[in-house]
Amino acid sequence: MSIFIDSETRVLVQGITGSEGSFWTKHMLGLGTPVVGGVTPGKEGQKVEGVAVFNNVRKAVAETKANASVLFVPPVFAKDAVFEALDAGIGKIVVTAEGVPVHDAMEIRSAALSEKVMVLGGNTSGVITPGTAMMGIFPYWIDRVYRQGRIGVMTRSGSLTNEVTAMIIKAGLGVSTLVGVGGDSVPCTRFVELLPLFENDDGTDAVLMIGELGGTMEEEVAEAMGTGIFTKPLVAFVAGRTAPQDRKMGHAGAIATTGKGSVAGKIKALEKAGALVADRPSAVGMLMRKVVT
Amino acid sequence: MKLFEYQAKELFEEAGILIPKGELVENEADCGRAIDKVGLPCVIKSQVLQGGRGKAGLIQIAATREEALLKAHDLMLNRKVRKLLFEEALSKEKEIYMAVTIDPVECSALIMASSEGGIDIEEIAMKMPDKIIRERVKTFRALFPFQVRNVMFGLGLKGEAFKQGASILQKMFELFKKFDAELVEINPLILTSDGRLVAADGKLSIDDNAAFRQKRYPITRDHFESDIEYEATVKGIPYLQFDGKIGLMCAGAGLTNTVYDLINYYGGSVASYLEFGGPNYRRAAEAMDFTLRNKPSVVLIVTFGTIARADVMAQGIADAIEHLKPDIPIITAIRGTGEEEAEKILRKIGLEPLSDTEDAVKKAVELSMGGAK
Repeated sequence: MSIFIDSETRVLVQGITGSEGSFWTKHMLGLGTPVVGGVTPGKEGQKVEGVAVFNNVRKAVAETKANASVLFVPPVFAKDAVFEALDAGIGKIVVTAEGVPVHDAMEIRSAALSEKVMVLGGNTSGVITPGTAMMGIFPYWIDRVYRQGRIGVMTRSGSLTNEVTAMIIKAGLGVSTLVGVGGDSVPCTRFVELLPLFENDDGTDAVLMIGELGGTMEEEVAEAMGTGIFTKPLVAFVAGRTAPQDRKMGHAGAIATTGKGSVAGKIKALEKAGALVADRPSAVGMLMRKVVT
Repeated sequence: MKLFEYQAKELFEEAGILIPKGELVENEADCGRAIDKVGLPCVIKSQVLQGGRGKAGLIQIAATREEALLKAHDLMLNRKVRKLLFEEALSKEKEIYMAVTIDPVECSALIMASSEGGIDIEEIAMKMPDKIIRERVKTFRALFPFQVRNVMFGLGLKGEAFKQGASILQKMFELFKKFDAELVEINPLILTSDGRLVAADGKLSIDDNAAFRQKRYPITRDHFESDIEYEATVKGIPYLQFDGKIGLMCAGAGLTNTVYDLINYYGGSVASYLEFGGPNYRRAAEAMDFTLRNKPSVVLIVTFGTIARADVMAQGIADAIEHLKPDIPIITAIRGTGEEEAEKILRKIGLEPLSDTEDAVKKAVELSMGGAK
């Protein structure tokens, strides 16, 4: 079992003919992902790794019955590409682009919420169910990170995810589904919105959350744990304990979040809600071993 | 990117928001002329990006010409301020706080206002949250007149001030959208004794990701504390400078923050923090050059890349070492796609590559404290 993606998901690749798009299409197929079509305007009729390319998402969906899409388009065009996918009725979208403007991300998230579509990213590696399927950028062949198992992982980071996930593999555990929400200040899906999915997934026994300083996503998870939305064990690692304070947002940042956002505050809220928080990546495996047998 | 106060005020003025009479000065010789223009008493405001300028003594008030010249001299010479904004001093009836920012949770623009504006606004927000008026605006939609009225009633404004305040808020919201802003803030917005609302300060922060469509204010040396930070940013390499001993090079913000934490955890100190992941992974040689310029006693390189191929990064580092010939220890934990090849490359140039992050950090900390190589 898994969340977001499994062997039945019919995946479309927007921007499939670009160098990143074609490279990762090859690897998505390599893992067994049902990549059913690709889109690059003006390139209809071509094939990439045996996958048919269409001019637009609407036609690709009509021909292939795709129900999910992963975007390998530059950040400047990400908003247009997401709205094209929404317009064609795609239900799950992954935005890998790093550098999507914040105002664009807000428009994307608003639309996704009202249409009840889940959009991951921007600035994410995507989502992977090890051994089954992935949408995005994962070196799934690195066995000490991407091994099948029963731990759900949600993360804001890329390379830190490899570092921390390797610790649960080292502890003899594995991953049910790993979801990257992306490293941007306005992620289109928030950690707390993934909790019900992991809660309802029979294949997930516990969740590892890889957080960072800034924003309020970790505090929201702590609040949700108190309401019973999520009852499985949660282990967290939060990066940036000693990082210099970012004053970018002036007074408004502090007022808007009424003091939330510091790593110390996040850890306190999580521990109060019953989560186990690792002080270093290497402690994650041991903590996870404590909660799952 | 944060705009300087004088830049934000330039945009306010163009939008029709009242600002104090002011003059920007870059050379000490021009201070006299600026004082003549704005009159006395005057306010002398350092154009720097750090917060809390008032409490740091970077904003001065002068009653006489001599005092103003002396204070300006001190700021430019002793505090190394590059630009000063001279402004008329305003008579204050009331100080208001008004801001438009982003609420990532509700996915809306968030207007915040308070009739208790001024330098203690953060404390007021913490202790008396009721004093902050909040109004959320879905960014797709316009800011409706009823929302503007809600804020003005909340501030207790009446008559002419109500109308002026409403117009200012509407204009701030337009600037927020037009400039891809993360923040538009006026603190304080002063109600003068003759009944005008004037933006005595101004902050406007533009989303860096929107730089491609927001080109009016390019990044300049004034935005940074050091030449290296400026040059690295111009080249698109995130770099921060500190006064510790370990030059840190990582790929990815999350991993960089984690290694920074681990260095502190094991009792070491950081000289600089540099990210060369993502689109920059082929630029390890440049990254190494920036890192060495701050004279660290050890360089620590930690990566666990996906797109950022370990072999390509290792080759860049090998090239940089060959070219720059650093005489300090270099500790690496370079993992991810292509890691076997990376290890060979590093061994070939005489390094002893490590594969565990914490081992690498401990080794670097030990060496930075004068331990054996």
